[in-house]
Amino acid sequence: MKNNLWNILKKELREMFRDKKSLSMMLVIPIFVPLIVLGMSALFDVQANKDIDEYNQIGFAYKLSEEEKSIAEELNIKVTEGTEEELKNKNENNEIDLYITKENNKYIINGNDSEEATYAKSLMESYFNVYKEYLQGQYLQKNDINPNEVLNIITIEENITEEDNMFVSYIKNYAFIFIIMAITVSATYPATDTTAGERERGTLETLLTFPIKSKDIIVGKYLAVTIASILTGIISLILAVISVAIAQNAFSIYEGLNIMFSPISIVLSVIIIIAYSFFISGLCISIASSSKTFKEAQSALTPLTFISLFPGMIAFMIGLTGTPLLSIIPFINYTVVFTDASAGNVDWINIALMLISTIIYIVIVLTYIIKQYKSEKILFSTE
Amino acid sequence: MITVENVKKKFVRYENKKTKKEFYADNGITFEAHDGEIIGILGPNGAGKTTLLRMIAGILEPTEGSIRFDNLNYKNNELEIKQNIAYLSGNTKLYDTLSAYELLKMCSDIYGVDKEEEEKRINEISKVLKMENFLYNKIGHLSTGQTQKVNIARCLIHNPKYYILDEATTGLDIISSQIILDFMKQEKAKGKTILYSTHYMEEAENICDRVIMINKGIVIKQGTPKQIKEDTKTSNLRDAFFAMIGGVSDEE
Repeated sequence: MKNNLWNILKKELREMFRDKKSLSMMLVIPIFVPLIVLGMSALFDVQANKDIDEYNQIGFAYKLSEEEKSIAEELNIKVTEGTEEELKNKNENNEIDLYITKENNKYIINGNDSEEATYAKSLMESYFNVYKEYLQGQYLQKNDINPNEVLNIITIEENITEEDNMFVSYIKNYAFIFIIMAITVSATYPATDTTAGERERGTLETLLTFPIKSKDIIVGKYLAVTIASILTGIISLILAVISVAIAQNAFSIYEGLNIMFSPISIVLSVIIIIAYSFFISGLCISIASSSKTFKEAQSALTPLTFISLFPGMIAFMIGLTGTPLLSIIPFINYTVVFTDASAGNVDWINIALMLISTIIYIVIVLTYIIKQYKSEKILFSTE
Repeated sequence: MITVENVKKKFVRYENKKTKKEFYADNGITFEAHDGEIIGILGPNGAGKTTLLRMIAGILEPTEGSIRFDNLNYKNNELEIKQNIAYLSGNTKLYDTLSAYELLKMCSDIYGVDKEEEEKRINEISKVLKMENFLYNKIGHLSTGQTQKVNIARCLIHNPKYYILDEATTGLDIISSQIILDFMKQEKAKGKTILYSTHYMEEAENICDRVIMINKGIVIKQGTPKQIKEDTKTSNLRDAFFAMIGGVSDEE
C-alpha cells in the first residue's frame, strides 16, 4: 500500500508502451525534426547558391557603351540588344530574364514576378551600382577631384561571427521549436488515453475501488505522461544534433561555419525539455480529465499543439531576446531562453525565472487535477 | 459487519440545456449485513442498487447518512476499508494490454500482499478457477467467461472480508454466471460478507440469506426470502415484488 504511486506509474508506463498509438506518437513525431533541419538547409542552399546562368540573360533596349559592356561581362551578364518591342516579346517567351529601357538618364528595369526575374533584378542592381560609381568617378576626375577621397569617404568592414549567421540561427531555432511541438503532440495522446480514455473503457471504476489515494492515482498518471514526453524530447534533440551534423557536411552554405549545438545549448535544451514536459503533461491531463469523452478530450487538446508552436516561432521571427518578463510567460519563455543560449548569451537569471515560473505553473495545474480526481464527477460526469 | 444508516444520494439531472433537476437515486436506505451472510439487493433498473453499492464500495460519497464497516468509516479510514473490500460489477472492465498474471501481480502489489505469498496465491487462485491455460495471455484476447474468471481472481487476491457484487451475472451465459454463483457460495462458507445486487429474482431467492428490495431509491421490504414470500402471500420473490409495488414497476 505504501508504494501505490509507484504501482500506478508502473501500470501506466506498461500500458503506454504496449499501446501502438502512444508508442508511435512518442517515436514517430521526432522524425519530423531532422526532416525540418535537412529540408530547410536544402532550401537555403538552393536559394544561396543559385546558378547565375539561370538568371543572367538581360535585354538592353539601347546601345551599350564599351564601359557598360565591360561591367556586364565582369558580372557575368549575357547581353541581348534589341528594340523595346523585341525584348518585351523575348521576355514573355522566357528567352531573357529582364530587359532594361532608358529615358535620358533614367533606366527602367522591366520584367515579371518570376523567381529568375527576382534574382536578375538583384544582379542588375549590382550592375547599376558599379556603373553609377564609374560615372561618378569620371565626373569627379573631370573636375580635378580625386574620386577615392569622395567615393571612399567612409569604409565598411564586415566582422560577422559564425553564430550570427542567419541560416545557422534559423536551422537551430526551428529545430528547437519543433522539439517543443513534438513534446506537446507526444503528451496529448497518452494524457487523453490515461484520463478520458480510461473512464470511457470503464477501468477507472475498478481503479477507484483499490486502496489508493486519488492523489497517487493522478500523480502516477501525470508522471507517466511526463516520462513519455521527456523521452520524445530527448529523442528529438538527439535527432536534431545528428541532423545538424549531417547538414554541416552536406550543404555548402555552412562551409567554414561551425553550426553544431554548443555544449551549453545542449545542456539547456535538456533542462528546457524536462521543464516543458512537466508543464505540458500537467496541462494536457487537466484538460483531458475535464472532458467527458475521449473524442471531446482530443478536440480540446488539438489547439494546444498550435499554441505550443506559434508563440515561440513568432518570438524568434521578430527577434525577441530574453527579459525577466518574457522568461515567465509560458511557451514563449522556453524559445527565448534557447535562442539566447544558442546565440551565446546565457542569462542565468532568466533561466532561473523560467524554471521557477514553470514550477509554479506545475503546482497550480497539479493542485487542480488532484482536486478534480477527489471529486466523483471525474468518474460519473454524465450523471 | 456492514452498517448502512439512512443513506441518501442526490444527483442533478439536466432536463434540457438550461433546466436542471435534483433527484435522489437513494433516499434513506438502512440495513445491516452480518459476517457470513449473502445479502441480495433487489430491484428493477433505476431502483438505486448500483448507486447504493458504489457508495458502499467508496466510489461515491453519500449526500446524507453513514456507512460503517465494523467501526470504520470512509471519512477516517478510507484506505483500511478499501483494503478489505472487493468490488465487482457487470460493468467492471480490466486492462486489455495486461496479461491475467500481470493484473493479479499489480493488484497484489496495490493491496500490499507479501512478496513471498504473492506467487503462491496467484498459483492457488489460478488453479482453483482453472486459469492456468490463459494466465499469461493478454486480457484483451480472452473470452467473456475467462475475463470474468480473471475478475474474480482479482477480487480474491487480497483475501477481502467483504464482497460487493453489482449485477455481476448480468449479460453472462449460464456457465459464466455459475462461476460467479459458485464463487459466492465458497466465500460465504469462509465467513465472508457478500452484498449482491441483481434483478434476477430467482437467482437471488436461491443464493441469498436475506434480501433487501428497493424501488425508486427506497427500501420497500427486507428479510429472508421465506419471510418475504409469507408476508406477501406469494410463491416467489418476483411475485412478492410486484405485490408490494402494486403492479409493473416504471423502470427508468
